[in-house]
Amino acid sequence: MQPAGQYSRDRCITGVHGLDEILRGGIPYGSTVLASGTCGSGKTTLGMEFLVRGADAGEACAHFTATEPSVKLLENIRQFKFFDVKMVDSGLINVFDMDVLYSWLGLEKSSFDLDDVHSLIKAIVDIVNTIGVTRLVIDSVTTLCYKIKSEQLIRDFLFTLGKKLATLGCTTILIAEITSATENAHWSSFGVEEAIADGIIVLGDVERMGHLLRFLQVVKMRGTSHSRAKHAIELTPLGVMLTPMLKWGAVSDTHNRWGA
Amino acid sequence: MASEFKFDKEDEKFFGSVGSFGVPKFDNEMHGGVPRGFTMIAFTETGSGSELFAKQFVSPAEEAENTLYISTNEGQAEIVRIFNKYSWPLDINVRTIGEEYNSNVLEKELLASRYRLEGFRLEDIQRLAQTRFVDDVTQDYLTEVTNEVMALGPYFRAVIDSLDFFLQREDPARVVAMVRMLQAHAQLYRGLVLISVSTDGLSPLIKQELASIADMVLSFKVRTIGTDFETSMIVSKFRNAPENLKILVFRVTPEEGITPETVERIA
Amino acid sequence: MKMFDLDQGIADQLTEVSLNSAIQVRCGNSNAFMVTASTLIPLLQAFEMGGVYISASRGAAEVIQGFEAIGVDVSHIQFIDLVSSGILGGTTVPYSNVHFVDSPIMLESVLLRTLYILKTTDNERNFIFLDSVNSLAIYNEDRMLAEYLHTFINTFRQQEVLTVILNVPDQTPPLVLSNLDLYCTDLIDRGQVVIH
Ligand SMILES: Nc1ncnc2c1ncn2[C@@H]1O[C@H](COP(=O)(O)OP(=O)(O)O)[C@@H](O)[C@H]1O
Ligand SMILES: [Mg+2]
Repeated sequence: MQPAGQYSRDRCITGVHGLDEILRGGIPYGSTVLASGTCGSGKTTLGMEFLVRGADAGEACAHFTATEPSVKLLENIRQFKFFDVKMVDSGLINVFDMDVLYSWLGLEKSSFDLDDVHSLIKAIVDIVNTIGVTRLVIDSVTTLCYKIKSEQLIRDFLFTLGKKLATLGCTTILIAEITSATENAHWSSFGVEEAIADGIIVLGDVERMGHLLRFLQVVKMRGTSHSRAKHAIELTPLGVMLTPMLKWGAVSDTHNRWGA
Repeated sequence: MASEFKFDKEDEKFFGSVGSFGVPKFDNEMHGGVPRGFTMIAFTETGSGSELFAKQFVSPAEEAENTLYISTNEGQAEIVRIFNKYSWPLDINVRTIGEEYNSNVLEKELLASRYRLEGFRLEDIQRLAQTRFVDDVTQDYLTEVTNEVMALGPYFRAVIDSLDFFLQREDPARVVAMVRMLQAHAQLYRGLVLISVSTDGLSPLIKQELASIADMVLSFKVRTIGTDFETSMIVSKFRNAPENLKILVFRVTPEEGITPETVERIA
Repeated sequence: MKMFDLDQGIADQLTEVSLNSAIQVRCGNSNAFMVTASTLIPLLQAFEMGGVYISASRGAAEVIQGFEAIGVDVSHIQFIDLVSSGILGGTTVPYSNVHFVDSPIMLESVLLRTLYILKTTDNERNFIFLDSVNSLAIYNEDRMLAEYLHTFINTFRQQEVLTVILNVPDQTPPLVLSNLDLYCTDLIDRGQVVIH
């Protein structure tokens, strides 16, 4: 393995214990990474850590939350030992409620048309640009994509958003909710997200003799070599901790445990 | 059934057993007016003069602070203009729901289109990052209005013109339930309630339910006769006084407002 | 009041090892606690170390009570209990230095929890005491356990954390045993039980 320092200039060093190692130094700057996982697999926790680590390094971060209220998120973020309220007070960590954003943009509806999608992209890009955000999390892109009724429009949305954020040098984690994290499952609900994303990190559970072990696996990451092995993870106040999953213990997980 | 309310003897004498329609000739035609405690439902056609009648109905305003006029279509300015025109008392309580709703919604829409066109400014973003909940622009007007009427005391007078606003936005079952509550409140406190509903697009089922709750059912109709319009009010239900069922043809005059011309008894 | 004499030979042997050593401590069923105490007491008292005790053979509370009975303060040790979660009410213990992992098959979780504890304690020098390989072997498949011990030992050697692995050799599968012999740098052999 090469020292991380060699890459640091073109990498967003996530600061997540072990993830940077798996990625041989971090996520290439400006990438759009899909973090796909089943319910309770730790997606939100990973996203939060990504931001707090960024803020810790002095980066401006933004989190758009649609799956849980920002109030709860800001409460949960306190569990991290490396979190400091100053990060929020000084404007390094900015948490936006998707509901509020929709309401401000007059998007309180169940289905978005092209015009709506473009105003949403414009708003997100505006925010990133105005406050100089270099780390962005959208939790989740699945709930958002449910409002975009055509596959072509979802593709257009993710592609345009990704391109604009890359131009601004903003590294983005798009959280995707999936019902199964098995080998032959899709890494996204719509199939479109995974094709457009620069990287895919899968989170899920492996069942071993009746017990669930959380795992993280980097399936794809453009612009870097990386480990493709499953890693066991623990969610701790020191952040996500990883260790390679034992090869002889990697029983494949049950299919569609959570149903469709 | 709710418990009996003890009325003041003085009040009983002052208010009497009936309240004026606000139109003396209607009072004459119907044994002096509307029995205290009655809820009237008026089914209306566009241009039939029902809006004017609704205002005229509150004009007797025996107690201004116990009189409530709720309009869902007109603004304050328009209401004041008409009350002034006929010299009706202006110290009653007036609530203009439609105006409130429009200003809320329009303001929001205006802001949304500004954000969409011009984007967010730094201060907008800072405010957005501080906003944790969606503003409640879609107020629950139905509950508000119900509470406002229920808060009125003995011998109150209340008008809702019209129920259409609620029927378009709420579950009709909720709206009917609200009318039922108001009817019970009016009965208990000897209040007078007038509620108008447009017949355009009104489902026959809702119409039937409303008519069955009401103590008195009025229909405001308009038809053309040659080059002229003829407006009329049909009393098709009058609890305990079927002799009052009639068709009253009226005109609108600058001096008196609604002015009945001919009366026809319904056999 | 001690119910047995400590094995001074173990203490002597421990002076020979360095922090990046991995010691296999062999014992029998009957002398397991004596050997454990003879190993831990010098580490705690003479070497002033703190550490993590992974208990897969008995509940952590029982281990703590064993030490308390011979007057040894184990408050500088954090315990990871792998057996009590499987027992209803097993995790209600009066000690704040006990952590639980759901099952002895969640080997990766044990490693991660140990790393987490090491990061949150501020002892200058730490040891990991794994009690015991033969207990883990009851629940885990041979190849997996052998692979695990490899990762386990390498991880802590890298971090300059002394690894002590307790083992009853005649209850450990040959594959695991031979791997353990291969990865460990030192051996304290009290597998032959001497009857006084
Ligand atoms: N510090 C922590 N220690 C232990 N468990 C945690 C910690 N933080 C979060 N969790 C657990 O992680 C689980 C899911 O986390 P979350 O990130 O919200 O999942 P997802 O977003 O994938 O649905 C929850 O059950 C929560 O209890
Ligand atoms: Mg989540």
